[in-house]
Amino acid sequence: MHYSIAQISMNEPQGISPSESPDPGRWLDDHGDYLFRYAVFRLRDDNAAEDAVQETFLAALKAYRQFEGRGSERTWLVGILKHKIIDHFRRAVREAPLGEESEDGPEHREFFERPEPWDGHWNANYAPTDWQTTPAELIERNDFWKVFSDCLSPLPQRTASAFTLREVDGLKSEEICELLSIKVNNLWVMLHRARLHLRNCLELNWFKYQP
Amino acid sequence: MALKVYDKLKHSIRYYFLRTLPTCQQTVEQISQSMERSLSIRERIRLKLHLWICVWCQWYFEQLHIMRQTARAKADESADLISRRGLSDEARERIRRRLTNQN
Repeated sequence: MHYSIAQISMNEPQGISPSESPDPGRWLDDHGDYLFRYAVFRLRDDNAAEDAVQETFLAALKAYRQFEGRGSERTWLVGILKHKIIDHFRRAVREAPLGEESEDGPEHREFFERPEPWDGHWNANYAPTDWQTTPAELIERNDFWKVFSDCLSPLPQRTASAFTLREVDGLKSEEICELLSIKVNNLWVMLHRARLHLRNCLELNWFKYQP
Repeated sequence: MALKVYDKLKHSIRYYFLRTLPTCQQTVEQISQSMERSLSIRERIRLKLHLWICVWCQWYFEQLHIMRQTARAKADESADLISRRGLSDEARERIRRRLTNQN
């Protein structure tokens, strides 16, 4: 995520002509659905995503004079939305203190052998198989994302959000810890469980299911 | 004959490592950590050795990186590819009213 709205210069021209006045109704029509999908993927909650979209447009109205049509309108709005998503996480943490570690996600102990002699090694039924693919190949497959998101949805909301912020948006560990107000060890447990779960789910529902 | 001895030796070495190195369950957790922080020399050596003898964990390692690279490459568009579901009519109207009041 980039923190871009703060970088806009203040020396804008005086007096905006009528054609340049903001048109929030059109923003809503042009970008509302896109922003909603963007927010729902990260917040994993429809109501929170709707609020974030509304707050984005309200902030955009206030900041419109600073935008002056530089760059794409959508990129500008997404930049604001990112801040609103972060605000949401901060608020959510304040309002609902965090629960038990068991809410970090499934441990998937069944993936591994019990008991001796191979205690803790892969159970052959769950062991990874060769995907025979590259990121470049996967990136071209748009339908991959649907499976990716479906695989995240059984995870606890907080774990899925942490995973998305880390692996999709590329936020640093420390940033996510601060956002969700968790300790770094806790984040690592969440990320590990999310990865373990997602890898297995992708293998079953994407790589083994290819027509 | 020499080949047989070599095979046996290789098998024994592999077996020895599998019994003495961290298990796969511990290794996959270590793999995940390696994506979050730099491992100590000792951790790194043990991980490398485990990956050397265990193709399953080797695939696991590669696949986690495939997942990350794919996810980051489409960070901004991905939500659009997952679903075409947009704002509900009710939410859209609510936001429209709120924006009109503001304007």
